[in-house]
This record gives sequence, structure tokens and C-alpha cells, in this order.
Amino acid sequence: MSMNLVLISALYVILAPFLGGILAGVDRIITARMQGRVGPPVLQPFYDVLKLMQKETLVVRKSQNLYILFFLIFIIFTGALFFAGGDLLLFIFALTLAGIFFVLAAYKASSPYSFIGAERELIQMMSYEPIVLLSAVGMYMVTKSFYVCDIVSFHTSLISYMPGIFLAFLYVLTIKFRKSPFDLSMSHHAHQELVKGITTEFSGRALAMIEIAHWYENIFLLGFVYLFFAGNPVLGVVLTLCIYFFEILIDNTFARAKWQLTLNSSWAISGVLGLVNIIALSYVLK
Amino acid sequence: MSSLSKSPWIFHYDASSCNGCDIEVLACLTPIYDVERFGIVNTGNPKHADIFLITGSVNEQNKEVIQNLYNQMADPKVVVAVGICATSGGIFAECYNVMGGADKIVPVDVYVPGCAARPEAIIDGVVRALGVLEEKRKRIKEIAAGQVTATIERASLDDAEKILELQKIAYRSEAELYNDFSIEPLTQSLDEIKADFATRTFLKAVIDGNIVGAVRGYMKGTACRIERLFVAPGSQNQGIGTRLMREIEATFPESETYDLFTGNRSKRNIFLVKKLNYKISRTEKVNKRVERVYLQKAGQNRG
Amino acid sequence: MNLLVLLIVVPLISGLLMLVSPGNGVRNFLVRVASMLLIALSVLLLIPGAAPGLFSLADIHSEHINQGMFIAEMGIALYILYACIRNRKIIATVLILLQAGLLAYFELKYGHGITVARNLFIDPLSVVMAQIIGIIGSLICIYAVGYMKDFHEHHAEVKDKRNFFFFVLFVFLGAMFGVVFANNLLWLYFFWEITTLCSFLLIGYKGDEVSVNNAFRALWMNLLGGLGFAAGIVYLYLGSAHTVELDQLLLLGKTATLLPAVLLPAVLITFAGMAKAAQMPFSSWLLGAMVAPTPVSALLHSSTMVKAGVYIAIRLAPVLQGTSAGFMIAVIGGLTFMIGSFITISQSDAKKVLAYSTVANLGLIILCAGIGTYEAVWAGILLIIFHAISKCLLFLCVGVVDNKSGSRDIEDMDTLIINMPKVAVMMLIGMAGMFLAPFGMLISKWAVLRAIVDASPVLAILIVFGSAATLFFWVKWMGKLITVIEPRHDLEDTVSSNEWVPLVLLTVATIGVCGLFPLVAAVFIDPYLMATYGHTTAMTQGNIIIMAIMLALVMLFPLSFLNYGKNVKVVDPYLGGANTNTANVFTGSAGALQTIGMRNYYMEWPFGEAKLSRLGIATTVVFLLIMLGAAILCL
Ligand code: SF4
Repeated sequence: MSMNLVLISALYVILAPFLGGILAGVDRIITARMQGRVGPPVLQPFYDVLKLMQKETLVVRKSQNLYILFFLIFIIFTGALFFAGGDLLLFIFALTLAGIFFVLAAYKASSPYSFIGAERELIQMMSYEPIVLLSAVGMYMVTKSFYVCDIVSFHTSLISYMPGIFLAFLYVLTIKFRKSPFDLSMSHHAHQELVKGITTEFSGRALAMIEIAHWYENIFLLGFVYLFFAGNPVLGVVLTLCIYFFEILIDNTFARAKWQLTLNSSWAISGVLGLVNIIALSYVLK
Repeated sequence: MSSLSKSPWIFHYDASSCNGCDIEVLACLTPIYDVERFGIVNTGNPKHADIFLITGSVNEQNKEVIQNLYNQMADPKVVVAVGICATSGGIFAECYNVMGGADKIVPVDVYVPGCAARPEAIIDGVVRALGVLEEKRKRIKEIAAGQVTATIERASLDDAEKILELQKIAYRSEAELYNDFSIEPLTQSLDEIKADFATRTFLKAVIDGNIVGAVRGYMKGTACRIERLFVAPGSQNQGIGTRLMREIEATFPESETYDLFTGNRSKRNIFLVKKLNYKISRTEKVNKRVERVYLQKAGQNRG
Repeated sequence: MNLLVLLIVVPLISGLLMLVSPGNGVRNFLVRVASMLLIALSVLLLIPGAAPGLFSLADIHSEHINQGMFIAEMGIALYILYACIRNRKIIATVLILLQAGLLAYFELKYGHGITVARNLFIDPLSVVMAQIIGIIGSLICIYAVGYMKDFHEHHAEVKDKRNFFFFVLFVFLGAMFGVVFANNLLWLYFFWEITTLCSFLLIGYKGDEVSVNNAFRALWMNLLGGLGFAAGIVYLYLGSAHTVELDQLLLLGKTATLLPAVLLPAVLITFAGMAKAAQMPFSSWLLGAMVAPTPVSALLHSSTMVKAGVYIAIRLAPVLQGTSAGFMIAVIGGLTFMIGSFITISQSDAKKVLAYSTVANLGLIILCAGIGTYEAVWAGILLIIFHAISKCLLFLCVGVVDNKSGSRDIEDMDTLIINMPKVAVMMLIGMAGMFLAPFGMLISKWAVLRAIVDASPVLAILIVFGSAATLFFWVKWMGKLITVIEPRHDLEDTVSSNEWVPLVLLTVATIGVCGLFPLVAAVFIDPYLMATYGHTTAMTQGNIIIMAIMLALVMLFPLSFLNYGKNVKVVDPYLGGANTNTANVFTGSAGALQTIGMRNYYMEWPFGEAKLSRLGIATTVVFLLIMLGAAILCL
């Protein structure tokens, strides 16, 4: 790990919340425009989080917020690992670990709504995990390395080798960005069935931490998307942002799906496209 | 303006509205009115919300629900009564089961009249509520910083309901500590606490007219028993507990000893009374892990 | 006397003593002493020079031992035959007749001509296995002392045959030592059959109809495997290899031209291993074994029986490397992992969840063996170690919960963190050890993934889907443990020290081995790989450091429980405002009081047990046939 990478990683830890917050603000404005509204100011997500910091913190079980704290810590750790050019598999495992802290927090809160949210969050995790791992496998097959720093400096864009995996990845990306149709666990629009799902019992500082973790997460997810286009940096960044825009569009176009559809479709797509792509790769690269 | 007033999250409860006002509340979210411009979000969850929007009148069915929802909101919080029903009971006021407006149950900060209230009026009401919210935030900050002193005074039977309500909020934390939600302070009924008023002296701590703490005591023989000292979660660590203790002791100057007990896990309680020179007199096992700790202090009258 | 022989003989003798011991007190004392002795002896193996590298029983007439073994083997066969006929189990009868007949014919016809240079041997792999058997196996025996007392108090209908029970347990351990130390395949086979018999006896311990039927299922499946084993030995000796020694077999396997002579025997013996390791289509015997008392399950799942199966497969991995038959074995292992993990999602019986998870994880080890590269074997051995510790811990915890709360259904385990805080925390650690970074099983799974992408990336598909399912069922169980619905009473007071000691030690081991895993790899796995393959693999320094940081962070988590809950306000959960005075009761429609309940998702569709097992059995049978075909044609 060179000094450079450590620097990038440190920059990530410091800047990601700002970038992520602005991204979320832009997201809200674009969403509003798509719905024919004006929308909130760009800095709205920051106002929200600052407000939450000033509020009283309510809990059902006193220890529940500890889990949230560790969720945030591990999300930051995961992102730092990614931007430090670390091992992609380890990155995925760390991400899973972080996610599990989040889910356990909701279980700990011992409330029916957070319980359902937690179960649904788990289904979502189960839905996206295969293809995320397969992406790492595919990247390894092409670049012969699991390290992000090697993958990013590979001479051609990986998407030309692994279009199938990329498409499947794009499909589950909606889950990771918590966008409709796969925003099962904590949708902003599901009061009727979920209240606030997994975040129902968190308020004040804990809710602010969840929000910040989400910003960190969005940034390294975009980083992951960028890996597919890294062969051409300028185009890569543009395409990555386009993908984010595309996700917002999807968010505003589709109604929320049931868990069955979420799980089955993402597994079917991951399985078929992933398998075909990997078989093709093992012949192409021979 | 702090970020609080830039991000008011709303929780809307339909008490027993004819749905007219509800439709108007929803209309506020549509592109024509677009309240998200002001950072307003309809959360649907009291724990996330800053503003409690009530439509419709309060009746026997929903009075407890409104109270519960209000209790489950984090401070600082404001209540906006939308429509004439929520303001006063409106055209349903004479109904056999209607109690009246929302202020029968919870303190209402802003009233938005109208039948139905127009979206413009609702938005205006919410924006006014922001001002109240801001004031409340400042006040809470002052209280937390100890700049406001509570007055300690004797409670009367009229305070019973408020004291009971606060007792239930304050003792949740104890209950969680012992994993026992059947402790007496939580299960006590209004009649029971009213009966207590006949035999015990109640003291209350008051800030801005709100009760933030209480304690009760009575003479048994030559000893004074002190019971159920509690301070509202937002007002702790400001010496209110200590002052309540001193005051209740002073109420019974004739007693030889002052006795009280608490659980062994309530470290804060024990710490507080030990600072007031109480000594542990004995402990009693409740079960394997929980003990009841009895503390005692000699009165002036003793030898 | 030689340490290896001691390890085989000591359990046998102490078992006999237990069988004839006059009372519970004496026997329990014996169990503790013998267990500690076994632990001490196994640890002694770690000291260099304590056990000779290779050892032939020159001072004892091995001819007599061989004859003795043959007679014992026939005795066992007769006993099994008797049991089969008495219970009218046709398949098992046929299999035991075939197997015993084949071996009797072979021994009588060729037995005298066989010369064996080394009957026993020891290398780092056997040492690892011996640690697992000696330490974990003995801990289970200690635990069983406390458990069986409770068990017989709660199950008055079961006849108290505890002397016999402990006798079989210890014989089982002795046989396991025999399996991992034997170089003479005929000896190995002898010990192998003893483990089959012991598991048969233990599964049927309760004596009711279900137990007996499940015991016979275990029997016939393992006999089928044993038949493969016997056929493998016979083919090996009569074929061009002309040997019955394991090290010779491995040596021949290294040379491409000689491979045909040993590939089929190796595949046949691995087949026996797969049956023993409960791979699909044979997984049902291990699930049926659940009916036995919990220590038996713990023993079968962690330190004995199934570990014999994966041991032999890993041992033969160098021969399988790069062959089509090996690839098929890997596919079967991978399928077992994936389908096993899927089915686990739909299970709510804690022991069944653990059983399916064992099946799945063994699949992963078999997959490693089938691939057979040094990276894969590295991962496989790590898996064996970590799985043994964590799974044993989990079984023992579930046993305690079952005994004290009267239920082992996961849905009944909410609030366990309050009712049995220590056991619940241990279970959480055990589960973390099973699937979570940076704990043991995950390190191994990571290594498996790396090994696969280098060898045959297509198999990665099976792994990624399987591990996604793993995540789901473990976390929902963890969540159940920490959810607090209604505080009940303390259930932990009456857990005896016989149970606490193994639990605590295993918990420490779960965390310790994970922290020390680079050391474990360096001491046990690397020397073995160097000796077998000439090179070894390892995780890079950087990654180990990152894992260490993660471990440290995770460790901070329990520490932070020392001081928490400051500046928060405790309120009721959100129940639409309809809360009552009691935290988990709300006012429902028409004012009726309702209690809240929270139940996990089990997803009968698409993860139902019946359908998926049928699918699994059908596909794996096809792959088994392809595997045999490939081995015969020597592809
Ligand atoms: S104020 Fe009028 S519109 Fe609103 S709830 Fe009452 S009756 Fe309906």
C-alpha cells in the first residue's frame, strides 16, 4: 500500500460525507423535478442530519444504538479499505459485516416494524450478495488480481470483458442505493406497511448516523461502479454519474416490488448472466 | 435560523376527521404546494418527527393513542391542530363520545382553523410552528445547561395525572435496566396514585409550568419513608433530584431517620443519595442478580 | 509405548472401564479423567519428537494384530447382520453381506501375501486431526456428563444405559485416532467400520422407532460407502499398484503415468468419505442423527465421523487434482454446499439448522478436496479446524438451551439474551465464527474462493449463492437471540460446571484460533503442504493486518457494553400509538388486547426442504455416476 493510496483513503474518510450529502441533495432535487415539483435546497440532507443531532434520542432498548455506531464504523472502514486499493473480497466481507450490525440493531430494538424491516433488509442483502462476489471473481479473472489498485489500473475497461456481470450488477445496484422498486426495508414511501421499517425505532443521533453511513456507502458504491469503466478515467466518471442518474430515474418510474420478486429476479439475473459471463471469460482468457 | 427549522419532519395523525382535512394535508405534498421546498417531510413515524399534525376531534377511542404518539416523539416537538375539529371539536363537539379539540389531551402550539383547513393555511400553520419549535429548542438547551432553575413545590391532587404520566416515562429506563416492565411505578393506575395523595406528601419540580420531577414521602412511626424520586429524562443532571430530596427531608423535620430503597443496578440513584449522606443499611435479594438496596440517614432529631 | 498407539488404546481401555463401572459417580469421574488424559496426550503430539515420524509396529507381531482385526471385523459384521435381520432392514443386510464377503474373500485369499512397511504414520495433517479429535472430542465427553444427567431426568421413557453410552463415545474417539494415524489401508478400513458401528449405536440410543430407523439409515449409507472403500482396497492391491499403503498410493498418484493404477481406488475411497461426510445424496443420515442426545450430534458433526470423511478426502486430494473425477467431486461438494445452505433457510429447529449447515460446510471441504490444488487444500484444512470448533460450540449451546428451556425451536429463542445471557453470548460468538468476517469460517471461505477462481471459476457460482443463503439464516437466528419480547425468568442457574467448562473453552478457542490463525496455518498447514505439494500458499501480510484491525474493532463491540445508554430516553416500541402499559401488548380493534409476536421468514417457497432435497439428490446422483465413469476411464 503506497503513501498515495493511504492519502486517497484518508481523503475519502473526510470528504465522503460531504460528497455523499450533496449527492443526496441533488438526488432529491432531481426526483422533485421528475415529479414536477421544485424540491428542497441542495443542502437539505445536511440540515436534516444537523437537526437530528440536536434532537433527543429515543430508544426501546438501551443498547440498540451501539449497533448503529458499529454499523457506521464498519461502513467507513469498508470504504477506506476500498479507496486504499485493498482486496475486493475483503471489502465485500467488511461491507457484509457492517450490514449485519445494522440489521442486528433493528432486531435489538425489539419492535415489530423494525423487525420486519430487518428481515427485509436481510432478504435484500441475500439478493445482492452473489453478483457482488461474482463481479469480484470476474474482475480477478480478467486482471489476475483482487486488489482494487490493480483492477483500477488495468489497461482496458472491464465492462468489455464482463457486460453480463455488469448488467446483473446494475440490477442489484438499485437495492444497494435503496431505490424503488427494491426499497423494501426502509422506504420513504411505505408508511402503510412498514412505518419506517428498519429505522423505525431510531431517532436523534442514531438516525443521523444511519444517514451519514448511507452517504459513505453511496460514495464507495459509485467507486465500485467506476471500476467497470476504469480503463478510461474521464469517460468512467461521466458514465458512473450517468448510472446514478439512471438509478434515480428507475426510482421514480417503478412501484415497490414484493420480496419474492426482488429475490427471485435478482438471483435469476445474477445466476444466468453471471454464469454465462464467467464461462465465456474462462474461454476468452484461455 | 438553526437547522431545526429548516428540516421540520411531520407526523400526521387522523384523530376522527371526516377526511376533509386529511385530503388537504396530503394536497400540501403535491406539486402545486410542494412543502418539500421547506424541507418538510411526512415521516409517518412519531419517533422521527418534529411536528405532530392532528386532524379531527378527540374522542374516547383515540385519546390514549394521541397521548402515546405524543410521548413517543423526541423533544423538541410541537403540535399543530389542523381544522376546526382538531381545534375545538368542531361540528362533532356535541357528539356523545367526543371530548373536544386536541388540546384536551396534548399541549397544542398552533391552531389552524377552517373546515377544511386550506393547504395554504396548513403550510402557514406549520411555518408558525417552526418559530415555536425554535423557541422550544432554545429553552431545552437552557434547561439542559442548567440556566433555568426549577421551582420545588408541594403537589396537589390536580397534579396526580401529570405526575403519573411522568412517572411512567421516567421509570421505563429503570424497567429496561432490570428487564421487568411489570414494576409498580409503571403499572400504577390514576386511582391508586390519587389514593396515595391521602397518605403521602408529594413534591413536584416545575419548569415553565411543566412538571419535570417528583418525590413522595410519609411518616411511618418515627421514620420518614421516601419513595419514587424521579426526574424527567431531559432535565436530569441538573441537581433537581438532590433538591427534591433535600426538600422532602425538610418537610419531615421531626423524623429520626429517613429511609428509602432502590435496586442494585440503579447506580445513579445510589450515587445521588449517597452524596446526601445516606448509608446502605441492608440489602435484600429479589432474585439471583437483582437486589433491593435499603439506604438510611439519621434525622436531626436523633440523639 | 508409542504415543500413537496410546491414543488409540487409551480411549478403548477407559471405555471398557466405564462399561463395567459400578455407579454414576465412578463413571463420571472416569470420564473426566480419561478426557483430560486424552487432551494431554493429543497436546503432547505437538511437541516435536514426542511422536516418531514414521512408525512400524515391529516389536509387536503385526501379523497377530492383523488377524485380531480381521476377527473383530467379522464379529462386527455378524453383529450388524444380526441387527439388520432382527429389524428386517433389507438394504443394510445386502450391503453388509457384500462388504464382509468381499473383504473375507480378499483377506483369506491374499491376506498372507501382503507386506506392509508402515502400519501407522503421522504427519502435520494427522496432528491437526488428532487435536480436533482429542481436544474437542474430550470436551464433548465432559459436557455429556452433565447433559446426560439432565437428559435422563427429562426423558424418563428412555432406558438409562449411560455406561454403555460413554463406552461407545470413547471407543468412537479411539477409532477416530486410528483413522487418522493409519497408513495401512486395511487398518484404516477397520477403524472406519468401527466409527460406522459406533454412530449406528449412538443414533439409536433412545431406542424408539424414529431413532432406530434413522440409525439404520445412517448404517446403510455408510455401509455403501464402506463397500466402495473395500472395493477400492481390493482394486488397489490387485491392480498394478499392488499395495495397501496410503503413502504408496499418494506417491504413485504424483506421477502421471502411474495415475491410472490409483485414481479409481482414490475415487472409491473418497466416495466412502463423501458418504461419511454426509454429502448429497447421502445427507439424510446426518439429519436423521439429530434424534440422538445432543453430545452425540456434537460429536458426529464436529470432531468425529463426518471429519473422518473429509479427512480422507483431503488426504487423497493430491491424487484427485486436475482429474475429471476430481472436478465432479468438487461439483458435488459445491452443490451440497449451495443446496444445503438453501434448505437451512426454511428450518426453524435449531439442531436441524446446525445439521444442514454442517452438511453445507462439509460440502465446501469436499469441494476443496475435489479441486485438489495446494490452495484448495490449504482452505480445506482451515475449514476443518474452524468448523469443528464453532459447530461444536453451537451444538453444545443448543443442547443447554434445549435442556433448560424445553425447546430448541429458534422461534422460541427470543429474549434468550436476557434469560440465558452467557449461553446466548456464546452462541452469538459461535455463529459469528461460522460466517462473519473476520472470524474463522469466513477466512476459510475466502481462501476457498481464491482457490476456486484459480482452478475452475465456474464453481464460484455455487459458492456465492450458497454463502448468500448462509448469511440469511445465521443473521436471522442471531437477531432472534437478541430480540427482547417479554422478559422471563433466569434459566441459567442450573447449568452445571460440566457444561460450562467445555462451553467456555470452546468460546475462547473460537476467538483465539481466529486471532492466531496465521500461526495455525504456519504450524500445521504449511508444513503439510510443503511436504505434499512442494509449495504452499498464504494470505498476504497486508490482508492479515486488515483482518487483525477488523478483529480488534469487532472486539471493541462487547467492550462498549460496559458503558452505554447515556443520554437516551427509553420509550415503548411504535405500535401505531395503541400501546398499553405492558410493553408488548397493544389495544387491537374493538378494544381487545393483543400481544405482539415477531416471527422470522422461512420462505418455504423457494427454499422448501422436500423439493430442494429431491432436486439435490437427483443432480448429485447423476454427478456421482459421471464421477465413477470418469474414474474408470481415468480421465
Ligand atoms: S374540520 Fe371540517 S374538514 Fe376538517 S375534519 Fe373537521 S369536519 Fe372534516
